[in-house]
Amino acid sequence: MKYFKVLIIPILLIAALSISCERDDICPNATATTPRLIIDLLDASNPDVAKNVFDLIVVGVENDMLLEDPVPEYVFTDTDNLVLPLKTTDNTTEYILIKEATTNDNGTPDDTTDDTTDGNYDRIIINYSREQVFVSRACGFKTIFKNVTLTIEDVNNDGRWMLSREPLTDNQSVEDETTTHFNVSH
Amino acid sequence: MYRISSIACMLFFCVFVHAQNDSIVSTVNDSTKIKLKYGLRIGGDIGKLIRTSVDNDYTGFEIMADYRLKEKMYIAGEIGFEEKNTINDYLNITTKGSYIKGGVDFNMYENWLNMDNMIYAGFRVGASTFSHDLNSFQVYSIDQYWAPQLTSTTKQELTGLTAFWGEIILGMKAEILNNLYLGLNVQLKISASQTIPNNFDNVYIPGFGKTYDSSGIGAGYSYFLAYRVPLYKKVK
Repeated sequence: MKYFKVLIIPILLIAALSISCERDDICPNATATTPRLIIDLLDASNPDVAKNVFDLIVVGVENDMLLEDPVPEYVFTDTDNLVLPLKTTDNTTEYILIKEATTNDNGTPDDTTDDTTDGNYDRIIINYSREQVFVSRACGFKTIFKNVTLTIEDVNNDGRWMLSREPLTDNQSVEDETTTHFNVSH
Repeated sequence: MYRISSIACMLFFCVFVHAQNDSIVSTVNDSTKIKLKYGLRIGGDIGKLIRTSVDNDYTGFEIMADYRLKEKMYIAGEIGFEEKNTINDYLNITTKGSYIKGGVDFNMYENWLNMDNMIYAGFRVGASTFSHDLNSFQVYSIDQYWAPQLTSTTKQELTGLTAFWGEIILGMKAEILNNLYLGLNVQLKISASQTIPNNFDNVYIPGFGKTYDSSGIGAGYSYFLAYRVPLYKKVK
């Protein structure tokens, strides 16, 4: 009988150990996963200098939410740099960028449901092809974007405030977030 | 066990005392000579059987065998198959394959009289052929503005993979009935080489177990029941 006792204790220990060790699969935040598109906003009259756009609102087309991630910075914000997530489910992502936005309360300051946003609306259309790349057991796959093109369109016939765009390289791809992918002048 | 041993002990001294009265010394030598059993020991891994019945994501079995070469040295090997699902929020993988291991065990336990137990250390070299089925995955993105991310449910099969590794074993085998053994061991594995599939990784290797991103070290255990087919006896 004493052999049974000797055998059972390590078995229980090993079983506990193997179960507890199974769930250590957490993807670290520092790991480079699906990248976002990075756009620098430059001065149209002096293309080497970054220039802020004031009271900018960014909202994805067919998306009810304002773009508030990574920080709630694309709601009435002043910035010379845009970080835009791209759809991993589609080859096109569209955003509306509203420059110098103001809230129009339609004469009813107490009722926010009929509020509209005034400002210069421009639409950017980002086309790309997607590729799934394995990262690790915990993070699974990320999507990288190849042959990325960016088109600026006017909305509401009030003229484009974004005048031109330029990719940083030919056949611009978005594979990481370490560098700018497009320069947009305004 | 104590009782059996003490009875054996008493019998031994009985004979010894008796022998002192006897003038023929050679009978003493006969009774003190211990004959060791030599034979092929074959067993099955009951730990893997239990895990198969309890764990929905695991199926596996292993047959082990050892053969006594010298008093303390055994040539040993295992053959088995495993099927394991690796599932987390972003991946769903089924790994299946078979493996073979071979090596040597050294008994470090000093047996009493005709007892035949083992506390042993050994080494193995192992080889596995296996495949992964990537059943589904969801793209990982920290930014969830465009949620949900792409989910692929197209099954991808990654076949013809092989892995080789070395292994250090520590374990014990206890004779619970005549020629029937209960044993357990723990294994420390060091990966030697493996085929890494294109745009993927070996998250699990049958026989080797779960792999780790940071190192080529693996761990395993087995809990087995074995029967020794006695072939011949040899004096110690």
